[in-house]
Amino acid sequence: MTSRERFADAEKRWEEGPLRERTAPGELPPQFRGYSGVSKDETQPEFRTGGGEIVVKRLYTPADLDGTDAVDDVGFPGQPPFTRGRDPLGYRAFRWPLSFYSGYGSSESANERYRALCAAGSTYVSLAVDLPSQNGYDSDHPLARGEVGKVGVALSTLPDLERVFAGLPLERIHTGTVGNCVGPWALAMFHGVGQRFGIDPAAMHVSIQNDPIKEYTGRGTYIFPPRVAVDLAGDVVAYMRTHLPGWEPQYSCSTTLRWGGCSTSQEIGFGIANLIAYTETARAKGVPPEEYVPWVHLHMTADNDLFEEVAKFRAVRRLWARIARERFQTDDPRVLGLRLTVFTGAHRLTAQEPLNNIVRTTVQILASILGGIENIATPAFDEALALPTLESTRLSQITKIILHDESLVGQTVDPLGGSYFIESLTNELEAKGRDVYDKIEGQGGAIAALENGYYLREMADGMYRYQREVERGDRPVIGVNKYVVEKDVPIRLFKGDPDDERRQVERLRAVRRERDAARVDRALAEIRRVAEGKAVGRDENIVPAMIEAVQAHATVGEIFAVLREIFGEYKAPTVI
Amino acid sequence: MRIKVLIAKPGLDGHETGAKLIARVLRDAGMEVIYTGPRQTPEMIVQSALHEDIDVIGLSSLSGAHLELAARVMELLRAQGMHDVMVIMGGIIPADDIPVLKQLGVRAAFGPGTHTQDIVEFIQKERAAAA
Repeated sequence: MTSRERFADAEKRWEEGPLRERTAPGELPPQFRGYSGVSKDETQPEFRTGGGEIVVKRLYTPADLDGTDAVDDVGFPGQPPFTRGRDPLGYRAFRWPLSFYSGYGSSESANERYRALCAAGSTYVSLAVDLPSQNGYDSDHPLARGEVGKVGVALSTLPDLERVFAGLPLERIHTGTVGNCVGPWALAMFHGVGQRFGIDPAAMHVSIQNDPIKEYTGRGTYIFPPRVAVDLAGDVVAYMRTHLPGWEPQYSCSTTLRWGGCSTSQEIGFGIANLIAYTETARAKGVPPEEYVPWVHLHMTADNDLFEEVAKFRAVRRLWARIARERFQTDDPRVLGLRLTVFTGAHRLTAQEPLNNIVRTTVQILASILGGIENIATPAFDEALALPTLESTRLSQITKIILHDESLVGQTVDPLGGSYFIESLTNELEAKGRDVYDKIEGQGGAIAALENGYYLREMADGMYRYQREVERGDRPVIGVNKYVVEKDVPIRLFKGDPDDERRQVERLRAVRRERDAARVDRALAEIRRVAEGKAVGRDENIVPAMIEAVQAHATVGEIFAVLREIFGEYKAPTVI
Repeated sequence: MRIKVLIAKPGLDGHETGAKLIARVLRDAGMEVIYTGPRQTPEMIVQSALHEDIDVIGLSSLSGAHLELAARVMELLRAQGMHDVMVIMGGIIPADDIPVLKQLGVRAAFGPGTHTQDIVEFIQKERAAAA
């Protein structure tokens, strides 16, 4: 008897023996006497993953891995196709940076919080910037009313950022920000602070998310038509690779797509399609894939289904390795190895019984660690209600540390590798992710799929389906449609200072009065010259002009008013 | 008469998922729904409401600017004499702010986790009472 025959024989004996006995009509077996909630047979006709795309079988066995090759498909960490991770030593040799995306109100209060976070062990300060600044408006613009300092700190001019970072060891810590449609300006601001503080910008460690595509598909902070925005983001990439080689130029993000309703396989497929679009943009600007891919992250989320999420991270690494090999005709591990960042599932935070969110976030962090994520960020449990407090922020950071230091889940590389279930899910998600990617490429790639409304339609449909499932009670959300309590546990919420906006506007006006007006005019004229060139197809990098404008204390609103005039503003297709 | 609803995103917050979802649910419930898209000033919203002869304005805000923005929308509605337009809100709105919003004239605020049918019924009941 071959081993395969022996296995089939044993499986048959199991099905006809214990399994049949357990489900046969009649009394429950005696060992269940006194239990509650035990049924004679399975409680659902079908079990599905949290994302809903995959039917989960009762039991996975070696037979499910027929055709899965231990070398080509699973392999070793640190080697293509990187299913088991990008680093051969995994968490035995590194722990993700301790970071928290935060910032609010005045530059002084933001500075105070960053100092506290650094004192508590943070090695990465991820700066949240308010919506006027992210949209290229000054704090005194009519559209900024009520928004100044609300979801992040207000940055109209360089002195604002100088106050934010005062006293922080910028030469030692990692800093970064989102700046998706204002990437070149964000680069110039961090660069300018380094120079003002007497630190060589090239010696700093700065990350700019610089991902305009996500803004058109979920976050809404877009300004220009997509192709213009992707070109400007490409300037950041090209400039950093030449002048600031330690900086991270892009976090290509599928997080907000998933939060906005897309499925698990779409998170994989859309994410890879977007990163391919950026890799091609970099290549067109003279940065080859081997110089680009090692410096960027695919920025994903983690949902509540632990095993599906672990498999997703393994699948996306393998699929990227395969697609990148085909597309760029290379075996270079620098191109095939995909670096993953996770921002855990803010979309699953409930406003009802907010303490429950601590449990959800813990499981999502666990999924990220078991999936070999290199950088894990989390929202705080109270963020469905308001901006987080310092205490909730600390707790979300400590959760990661407890899992690593006390639960010891990172002691071996890819601990779930080889699990029949995990490997099967990895295979299925890779195949489904490939289908999604092919669909996007068939439409002409990521930018075409966002211009023609495909991304938006898929997300809106997915969100509508999810909401219906919750409201019909088909999908349990504890505290919302199941185990609902009448009175929530009271928690202390963060409150901003309503006077911040007025102070910020006064400071901005003082900067405008005191600066060298002629230098500002010259700097803005230079930005205009470069942008006008781009508008007629001359690809000149805008970053040097941006650096000078920021140092001359031109405001973000002035800089982007020039660019808005030349490139126009994008009107997104309305998809409900 | 079909109820005409304007779903609007005031301010600079671009998180549209919830606003679009509500637009779709209200449309499915037989209402006529117009969605403004993001980045609307209170002036633009009130102008659209006037132009389209709107019965209900639904404001969506997740950035924390809801108090300032709602106050301005209500002020402009009053200035236009649009007293019969009902304003409701959705998004991330701390419980402490809800009495303040009601004081301003906002009829209801629906937070995360609201059953969408509750919003449909609220609008239908309030409009029936007003008629």
